[in-house]
Amino acid sequence: MSGRQTLLRACLVLLCLLPAIASTGVEYFSPPPDLGEGYTYPESYQAEPRAGWLAWVDTFALTVALTLAALIALRWRRRRAMVWLSVASLLYFGFYRKGCVCPIGAIQNVARALFDTTYVLPWVVLAFFAFPLLFALLFGRVFCSGVCPFGALQDLALLKPVRVPRWLDEGLSLLRYFYLGLAVFLAAMGAGYFICRYDPFVSFFRMSGRFHIWVWSGAVVLLSFFVGRPYCRYLCPYGALLGMLSRFAVKRATITPDRCVACGLCADACPFGAIREGEEDAQQ
Amino acid sequence: MSEEKKLTRSEFLAHCGRGVGLLIVGGVAGGLAARNARAGMVWQIDPNKCNQCGQCATHCVRDQSAVKCFHAFEMCGYCELCSGFLEPKFITPDEGAENQLCPVGAIVRQREIDPYYSYEIDESRCIGCARCVKGCTQFGNGSLYLQVRHDLCLNCNECSIAAACPSNAFVRVPANKPYIPRLGANL
Repeated sequence: MSGRQTLLRACLVLLCLLPAIASTGVEYFSPPPDLGEGYTYPESYQAEPRAGWLAWVDTFALTVALTLAALIALRWRRRRAMVWLSVASLLYFGFYRKGCVCPIGAIQNVARALFDTTYVLPWVVLAFFAFPLLFALLFGRVFCSGVCPFGALQDLALLKPVRVPRWLDEGLSLLRYFYLGLAVFLAAMGAGYFICRYDPFVSFFRMSGRFHIWVWSGAVVLLSFFVGRPYCRYLCPYGALLGMLSRFAVKRATITPDRCVACGLCADACPFGAIREGEEDAQQ
Repeated sequence: MSEEKKLTRSEFLAHCGRGVGLLIVGGVAGGLAARNARAGMVWQIDPNKCNQCGQCATHCVRDQSAVKCFHAFEMCGYCELCSGFLEPKFITPDEGAENQLCPVGAIVRQREIDPYYSYEIDESRCIGCARCVKGCTQFGNGSLYLQVRHDLCLNCNECSIAAACPSNAFVRVPANKPYIPRLGANL
């Protein structure tokens, strides 16, 4: 140990023992020196957060996208237009906004706000939670078909759809309700946001993430090469909520039984197993 | 005429379900909006709670952490032997890399008015490891402290640093007051 260091240690101990003079009500270890009148402190740079009015832009974009999706699905009936809309949503809500805040994650904020009265819920989160649900009551799950960036990503990844056996499909789709319950429970308890923590797609939007998240993301994307929208069908908790509400939709995509010849082509073509032979109506 | 007015059972159930759904969604949204409709909230570190564990450097979802060291110059003692700048076992008290506490050399030391040194943070280098903050807090005025930089922060719904933070120093603050000064900082 050098002499200078011993001296420093001694000084530090001495300073600890000395009662600090608190003139400003703050006890400083070594009071800031008087640097003279002419001295100006260096500027500390503090960047401003994203401007508040941009939240209005996001909400407007969501409303426009939902309206367009409803029009495309129910009036114009153009699959290609829906693909372009979902690509645009993927670019805006996914890659530009980095996936935050999304309606799927907003479930947890709402659950938290319901159980913790001190929690402050920004209005934009509430709007992102409520608008797709209201649209589902009117036009079915148009959010899933054309607006959700996660859905768009899985649609683009789909190479060769494999038909999932019905028993497996129905069994796995129950997972969504379990996932929803778990996420709401954890959020309500203040134990963090489970959906966001194990979100398989935001790592692509941010192009960063921890190793175990990348493994999970890779697995989901690999699966969605062969299974149409696996996250949406078997895990998405918001999809579970939307599905419950879309049963009572005012207007939604249906098959007119009188004109159906029961050829089964549509059931074969649907990569998501949404149309089943022998059933009268079908949902997105 | 009377036949057209008649509802089928499924239509009636659909109407009921729609009404209930609207009531629930509207009730939840309206109730919460009436209670606290606020503008945006952003993540920030409360420097008075931070215990300098160093996880800010490693747990951010971004490759380069959005947490960086902030220097409140009004609090700084301008010490020659700065415990936030110098390694506790320094060889000579100078700017040599072996003597610096900062692993990336982000603290720029300059002689201001003799005998005082100024310590500035090179933002582009800082990784938010809090080693200097620890030194400055233990044997200094605490003028160095960590803050979330809002030009880098993605404002994730769940901040992964907040989930890892052992001292619950991560809080959500209103976007119009996005930084938390340390006690004693005249900011």
